[in-house]
Amino acid sequence: MTIMAQPPTAGGGGGSAAGALYDVIELILDRGLVIDVFVRVSLVGIEVLTIDARVVVASIDTYLRFAEACGRLDLTGGRQPVGLPAIVGQITEDSAERKVRGALTGAGRAIADTIHDIVSPDGRDSA
Amino acid sequence: MARYVYCFTQAEHPLPLDGLRGVGADETALRAIRHAGLTAVVSDAPEGLRPKRRDLVAHETALETLCAAGAVVPMRFGTVAPDDDAVVAELARGAGRYTELLTRLAGHVERNVKGAHQEDALLADLLAGNPELRARNEALRAEGGGSQPDRVAFGEQVALAVEQRRTRDAAYVVAALRPLVMLDRHAPSVEGCFVNVSFLVPTGAQDDFDAVAARLRTAMEGYAELRVSGPLPPYSFVDAVEEKV
Repeated sequence: MTIMAQPPTAGGGGGSAAGALYDVIELILDRGLVIDVFVRVSLVGIEVLTIDARVVVASIDTYLRFAEACGRLDLTGGRQPVGLPAIVGQITEDSAERKVRGALTGAGRAIADTIHDIVSPDGRDSA
Repeated sequence: MARYVYCFTQAEHPLPLDGLRGVGADETALRAIRHAGLTAVVSDAPEGLRPKRRDLVAHETALETLCAAGAVVPMRFGTVAPDDDAVVAELARGAGRYTELLTRLAGHVERNVKGAHQEDALLADLLAGNPELRARNEALRAEGGGSQPDRVAFGEQVALAVEQRRTRDAAYVVAALRPLVMLDRHAPSVEGCFVNVSFLVPTGAQDDFDAVAARLRTAMEGYAELRVSGPLPPYSFVDAVEEKV
């Protein structure tokens, strides 16, 4: 099974086979090559795992839940916003400095571009 | 007899099939069908195959094992060909494209990253950084919760801020890892996650990838959780080939 990249103490899947399978199941079921002339087994009965996140967030129930959760928060102590933008900005800079992408040969870049064309014909790739 | 198809590889792939068990209760052996310089890895397709946990694990284990030994084009779960001849026909029909795709995917693996906010920490952070939201929250608290319309209106404002934060943090995760990868592609949205993204990572860049992911995880500790999977077969980087034809 997939080995989780973080140590088990980091939480989440915990590195167990169960956690690892859970975290890749939508890839196994929704990605991978589909060949028209072959059949696929019916997925009827399997829990639908993927969602439209926007639909979940935009509902009266969600609004009420958020309002209630905010009302319960203990905001005493003059909490400061976490400094995520600055930290992530630094990580991104360091990451770019490794220049793995920049070091790719011209051929490597061409390969990347061609695969990009193949897998993203509709331009929905993350921008 | 029908064949369950796991993946295509190039003929030179070492095919470590010993010890791998096929999908279905009988756990039949995997075997190779060779044609046109390509190999299809198949097993006998069980009657009435369903996506049970055992079968998903068998599919995933076979593909991860094969991917670790050389480039594969992974099938989506549950792909069944009517017989060996149909598999040979498909290898013949798509030989050029499959060979090209395998060449391009060689030396790369898929890594998947999922991020989920810890809701209370996210909300506290949004309020801390937004005086207007904080004031409305305090006003509602002073009224013992406020009227239902007021709570809905406030909650909607919060939801908007949450959505913006989800989008922002997803962009952070992708931007931090993108310099180390060949390609990235959003995976299907899954419940509770603000980001679910797959990366095509050169095998030699995996340590750097893990190091950056670890720094991101530390930066987000107590605010959001990052779960990193892989190395995986390149599921997210093959599935539009048929549409392209």
